[in-house]
Amino acid sequence: MEFIQTLLANELVVSIFLSLLPLVFIIVYALVVLYTEMKVAAHIQDRVAYMRTGWHGLLQPIADMLKLLQKEDIIPDKADKLLFRLAPIIAFVGTYAAYAVLPFSSIYIGSNINLGAFFLVAVGSLVVVGILMAGWASNNKWSLFGGVRSAAQMISYEIPTAIAIIIVVMITGSLNLQDVTKFQDGGIGNWVVFGGPLPWSQKLMLMPFTIITFFILFVSSIAEVNRTPFDLPEAESELVQGFNTEYSGMRFAMFYLSEYANLFTVSAVGVALFLGGWSSPFGTFMSGPVWGIFWFVAKAYVFVLIQIWVRWTLPRLRVDQLMYVSWKVLTPWLFACLLAVGLILVL
Amino acid sequence: MSAVGTYFYSIFHSLYTVVVGMKITIKHLFTRSATVQYPTVKMKIPERARNRLYVNIDDCIGCDQCSMACPVDCITIDTIKSTPDVDLGLTSKNTKKRLYVPRFDIDIAKCCYCGLCVWPCPTDCIVMTDVYEFSEYDRKNLIYSFSNMTADEIAGAKERLKKYDEEQAAKKAAIAAAAAEKAAAPMTPLPPKPELPAS
Amino acid sequence: MDLYTIIFYIFAVITLGAACVVVFSRNIVRAAFALLFAFFGVAGIYVFLLADFIAITQLLIYVGGILVLILFGVMLTSHQIHVDTKTGTVQTLPAVMIVSALAGTIIGIFWSTDWNVSSQLKIMDKTAPQIGELLLTKYLLPFEIASVVLLVALIGAAMIARREKKPKD
Repeated sequence: MEFIQTLLANELVVSIFLSLLPLVFIIVYALVVLYTEMKVAAHIQDRVAYMRTGWHGLLQPIADMLKLLQKEDIIPDKADKLLFRLAPIIAFVGTYAAYAVLPFSSIYIGSNINLGAFFLVAVGSLVVVGILMAGWASNNKWSLFGGVRSAAQMISYEIPTAIAIIIVVMITGSLNLQDVTKFQDGGIGNWVVFGGPLPWSQKLMLMPFTIITFFILFVSSIAEVNRTPFDLPEAESELVQGFNTEYSGMRFAMFYLSEYANLFTVSAVGVALFLGGWSSPFGTFMSGPVWGIFWFVAKAYVFVLIQIWVRWTLPRLRVDQLMYVSWKVLTPWLFACLLAVGLILVL
Repeated sequence: MSAVGTYFYSIFHSLYTVVVGMKITIKHLFTRSATVQYPTVKMKIPERARNRLYVNIDDCIGCDQCSMACPVDCITIDTIKSTPDVDLGLTSKNTKKRLYVPRFDIDIAKCCYCGLCVWPCPTDCIVMTDVYEFSEYDRKNLIYSFSNMTADEIAGAKERLKKYDEEQAAKKAAIAAAAAEKAAAPMTPLPPKPELPAS
Repeated sequence: MDLYTIIFYIFAVITLGAACVVVFSRNIVRAAFALLFAFFGVAGIYVFLLADFIAITQLLIYVGGILVLILFGVMLTSHQIHVDTKTGTVQTLPAVMIVSALAGTIIGIFWSTDWNVSSQLKIMDKTAPQIGELLLTKYLLPFEIASVVLLVALIGAAMIARREKKPKD
């Protein structure tokens, strides 16, 4: 007991412990999403997916993980070995850094910095560099194409994401995600997607624009995590998994984990900015720090489910269509929303 | 349509088609899966499905027609003639069996399940069954032998045939010798042919 | 030595080490990737200077924009990847003059600055609103000029990228 107390007194140990919490969460959550994704994909295609390992294949993700961990780690002979080893680490660091500012609950947030939303946009670029590095270091044409496509795509879609975040910041008046969440506390009506806790006249005027903004943020977040219909960087059928063609074993697992962690991040950002974060949809009913974690994760999980559903429905876009959607549809519409929201808030 | 109209229409159209697609997939998410848990649950296979071949060797008359019909030559049949003193019995179709079948091998690894061997069989002894699980670790195990003759029986049959053949040869030689003798004697007219009965 | 000093030195070493790789590496792609660590280290040092907004902007603009642009440039001119970059010395005299002038300026600033600011500077609660206010009041003109310059650059880029219309004959 005394040992634990001295440990808890040590600032360094406590901060390391707190910063490792999201890692545990990511691993558990990745297993859950892996299972969900396989099951949903299978049932959409009228299959049943794995059934043998445990009840309805519940242990399969664990088996998959163990398999990946003990697989041989192959580094191609002609690869740039240093960069090849570094790439998955950088990609994962970029993903994990975003968890520092996610408000999981009213009492737990990795780092309650004042520029949380801004930080989220910035660290996403680390993932881009990691993927570019992986694509180049593999010394493989598919990988290089995948890496370059991924970078072009993520940079293009960062712009709609950033503008959508700016629109929310204009309404809430803060870049701190904890403040943004507190702003929306107190029931479903106070969520930013429905205009936030403003007077009814403003709220009704804001609502169409916030809903469009939210929808666009959702679309661009799918593009940012490289999932179908925006999975050009991976494109199994044309690029053979793109930038991770040459990766195997542990390093591949890191890319995989990074992808799933990113999936949660973008969903969580949408939830924190538009859907009230950890606040309960029923006002004070079922609210509190622990319920906060539940609401936050549950809302984000619903979004992950929708992304999985979209993935197994839609075919892949062409490269020019991808750029068309970002530059000619999403961005101009968001600029219009930005202008409209600004005017309404000034009124 | 004007350029602006096309722009707005294409946005509307893409959103609409996405909704249509997603409606279809969510409907399938809740319909019953078409898969069965194979090794434990098996699908009913059609009545006339063609799978592993089976030969009822008791009915086989060794006519070799199936082997000739086979497009991939996966059936090998050896036969030994029986001597008149042995009765090999009748098949289920009341055909008299005249040949021993010491070897009736089907290399099922080669078989293409066309069923062409089944139709020519005069005694319906080669058939396609509904057994489809017969994987093996060694390809040699896929050569099925249907003959029920033991090595002793085969040797015995061969021995008897050889003896019979020798006897016949001796008989023939004797006849030939007698004929030669007769040929040396003056010709006698042939006996008159019996009249065919009017039908 | 407390924890913050150690972290500061880690960032300093990352920045300087990566900068050395950028300068001395013969592999141009590795040099470009080393820039990532240099930018990252500088961002960390900005955090120590209580300039959180600048730190994140550093990440966003330099890592997310400029570095990726450089990498694109390097990768798309693929035939130059495996060519060793020249690191020999040419035109020694002008180089020495310019470098010593630059170094003199930096050292001059270094000495003339009153570094003991920790007692004077109060920790600002929110930097972003203040930066925004200053940009739209005191520094409005430079801000607007910068935006006009960027707009001109954008139009120029679009102009260059546009396909030339073939004259009808």
